[in-house]
Amino acid sequence: MKRNGPLITLLAGLALAAVLITVNLSLTKGGGEPDPAGLGAAVASAAPAASTPPSPTVAASAAAPDAPAEKVNATWAGTVDGGGATIAIAVTDGVAVAYLCDGKKAEVWLQGTAADGKLALTGKKGATLTGTFGGGKATGTVTANGRKWTFTVKAVAKPSGLYRATATVRNAKVVGGWIVLPDGSQVGVVTVDDVPQPAPAIDPATGAVTVDGAALTAAPVTGVLAEN
Amino acid sequence: MSDETTRRARVSAAGLYVPLLLGAIVTVTLGVYGSVHTPTGISVNVAGFSGPQTVKVWLASGAALLALVQLVSAFAMWGKFGANTPSWIGPLHRWSGRIAFLLTVPVAVHCLYALGFATYDTRTLAHSLLGCFFFGAFTVKMLSLPKRGLPGWTLPLLGGAVFTLLIGLWLTSSFWYFTTIGVRF
Repeated sequence: MKRNGPLITLLAGLALAAVLITVNLSLTKGGGEPDPAGLGAAVASAAPAASTPPSPTVAASAAAPDAPAEKVNATWAGTVDGGGATIAIAVTDGVAVAYLCDGKKAEVWLQGTAADGKLALTGKKGATLTGTFGGGKATGTVTANGRKWTFTVKAVAKPSGLYRATATVRNAKVVGGWIVLPDGSQVGVVTVDDVPQPAPAIDPATGAVTVDGAALTAAPVTGVLAEN
Repeated sequence: MSDETTRRARVSAAGLYVPLLLGAIVTVTLGVYGSVHTPTGISVNVAGFSGPQTVKVWLASGAALLALVQLVSAFAMWGKFGANTPSWIGPLHRWSGRIAFLLTVPVAVHCLYALGFATYDTRTLAHSLLGCFFFGAFTVKMLSLPKRGLPGWTLPLLGGAVFTLLIGLWLTSSFWYFTTIGVRF
């Protein structure tokens, strides 16, 4: 019994991981998750580690199903259909972050994935972004706070794009988002302890900005948001 | 003389080959999976927290705290605090280790499933590497524990590696979160 303890510990961890992955799979099913087989294989390749040495083919099959998906790196930005709000979507290695704001007080951050020409992002309070991309454009729909926006925006290059700053200023939590458009204009909202306000302009070259008297640096968004 | 020879023959690092190989397979599998799996951005959440990040931050902090218990209880087991080691130190070491390991599993599943192997900056790269190696090192440690005749340095070395990796993971995730975003639930 005592000698089997470590093995049981390993197997218990493996079982817990398997349960969590199964729950994840059932949750994200239909969300463009094409590789239940790949996940199963990944679990299986660790499972025999406790008893018998796994064959190399198991590990190989774990890699196979979604290996062809090339990771997306792109930024799209522009005005939503009908004006009234600006959207930017920044994708780093398939991890997508989108920001939609009106430059006054309405804003929504979303994050998710960009793969196989499809965008699938979610945000707080059930906000969603679904869409497609390709040919230098991204098209889709954002739903948040009971409102809906549609957009078709073009790919942009630095210094245009999506910037974000998070900081704590005098115990107030500050989150700022800026969209810099190719014509040099900026749209942004800064939220100080959940109260949104128009954002002061950033210096696109350095990201420097002053919020409530505090010097912050807005950084280009790459990958997952630091705080959900 | 012959006694000496047999004793020496029995103590050999050869018994580590299989655990090391399996640990390496675990590490490589995690890294490969994290790289090829398209991150979903979402994963199961635990009720009571404001978001998946905060869940992970606190689970990892719990594991890191238990890792400190591991370090102290390991020192006690090896008689570093004097010869009279209380009998409950062994069970304490085993159970705190088990719980710490189980706390890390949901964190790892979320990292791998929702975020993947990331190289955005030094921190995420270090964290990704540490994460893959942590589970490999833990596998080696678990598989080496029941083996007889391993060199005396085996368990301190492996335990130290697992501890160092976990603390590194905590520093590159929870500690970073606490200092960058703030302490929140």
